[in-house]
Amino acid sequence: MNLPRHRYGRRLTYGDYLYNFFATLTGLTIFNLEFLKQGFLPPYEIGEIKKHMTELGVKTMGIVSITGLIIGLVLTMQSQPVMQRFGATDFLPAMVSLSVVRELGPVITALIFAGRVSSGIGAELGSMRVTEQIDAMEVSAINPFKYLVVTRVIATMMILPILTVYVIFIAITGAYIAIIIVEPMSFQYFQQSVVQAIEFGDFIPSVAKTFVFGYIVGIVGSYKGYSAEGGTEGVGQASTTSVVLSSLLILIFDSVLVKITLMLWPTL
Amino acid sequence: MADTLVKVENLSKNFDKLVVLHDVSVEVTRGENLVVFGKSGSGKSVLLKCIIGLMKPDSGTIYINSKNVLSLSLKELNEVRKNIGFLFQGAALYDSMTVRENLEFPLKRHFTEMTPSQIEEKVKYTLDLVSLEEAIDKMPSELSGGMKKRIGLARSIITDPALMLYDEPTTGLDPITTKEISELILNLQKKLNMTSIVVTHDLICAEIIADRAIFLRDAVVAFEGDIKELTKSDDPFLKNFFSHEIIKV
Repeated sequence: MNLPRHRYGRRLTYGDYLYNFFATLTGLTIFNLEFLKQGFLPPYEIGEIKKHMTELGVKTMGIVSITGLIIGLVLTMQSQPVMQRFGATDFLPAMVSLSVVRELGPVITALIFAGRVSSGIGAELGSMRVTEQIDAMEVSAINPFKYLVVTRVIATMMILPILTVYVIFIAITGAYIAIIIVEPMSFQYFQQSVVQAIEFGDFIPSVAKTFVFGYIVGIVGSYKGYSAEGGTEGVGQASTTSVVLSSLLILIFDSVLVKITLMLWPTL
Repeated sequence: MADTLVKVENLSKNFDKLVVLHDVSVEVTRGENLVVFGKSGSGKSVLLKCIIGLMKPDSGTIYINSKNVLSLSLKELNEVRKNIGFLFQGAALYDSMTVRENLEFPLKRHFTEMTPSQIEEKVKYTLDLVSLEEAIDKMPSELSGGMKKRIGLARSIITDPALMLYDEPTTGLDPITTKEISELILNLQKKLNMTSIVVTHDLICAEIIADRAIFLRDAVVAFEGDIKELTKSDDPFLKNFFSHEIIKV
């Protein structure tokens, strides 16, 4: 499917945008169906999945650690004056930890992950496409979709929940650091408040949705890279549009999943 | 027919309104080196990509080893592909793998019964054939253009294919390296008893390799025969084409 491109000196018309939108939607749907088909067929390329998981984990560990710490710090420092006004500073650990576990942890981690990983997959596969490496794999009787796409998508689905739990832990640590600075509170009291506030049930929907976010990051990056064309310009576009589309889809799916969670577990 | 390895019949391929191949028919016998000449954009690479199944022609048939590859399922087509090597114009080495891993890749996939030491031996033997044993642990980004072509060639022949397809094997190389690569292709073809289809517009390469040549022009086979006849043709277009080639050389 050939998408009209923005080139220097030529603007896309509204018709081009509309065509691009439906072409991407159709292409992505077909790509998803192909993934579902190929994902269940052997060989399963376990070694390749493990390799990608390690690479993705190492690649994003630094940035998500910093992000998690800052979320915890800033959220606590911003909330403390408001809570103090209502005489509810004792509830600060519970409020921050619930916000981080239920929403901020999964979504922020997924967005950071999309920015770092989706663009990387888009650029990597895009570059392989334009330099005929994917064709080389195909003519060697090796299924490039299975080897390149399925393994990456499964890896992103598996690693994002792990990273999310890690970010939640770091963010709560950040919250404690901020509390020490702005509101003297014992570690024991902080720990007790957090443990009492968070139930195991809070973790399930928030971690479950990160599987979906991981899938979005992997599939969008792979789709954009795999269908790249037009040399280095195409690779650049694949990388950029991967981030934009996957971030947008993460936010859309987040609102849908929150609604579903509340319908299934109204007490949450 | 018994001796024919590749038979292309009435192959046509259009891109929108652009006719790239029209009713092209070509036969390649076992052990033969066929060179496909033509201007840039004349459909030479499209012909190769149709033969290997990377592109679907609009009409026509392609037989490899008496099997109509266009009617095969992907699984059956992959069985046929295991017996074919393809050297891409830019070598298409996997840039995230070392030279060793590039060569090991098809072996580990298709020859699962081979032990690690047998794979190692085969990789070293194949690198020795292309005289690049010392590059075994290098990354593709550390190789020159000529070295990339050699490694690409090594990767293509490591599975001992019966048919080799070369897409512009000497483009972008200096005349000396062009001659070296062309002689290497010829030696390998003799040593491994392969059949080759070479797409090129390089006369040095063609003169070294070709047993027979065809010339694609205006989407059809405009000439078929001996390379010497082709270069000495009275046809004004061919005369012009080859005089430019010779000047370039």
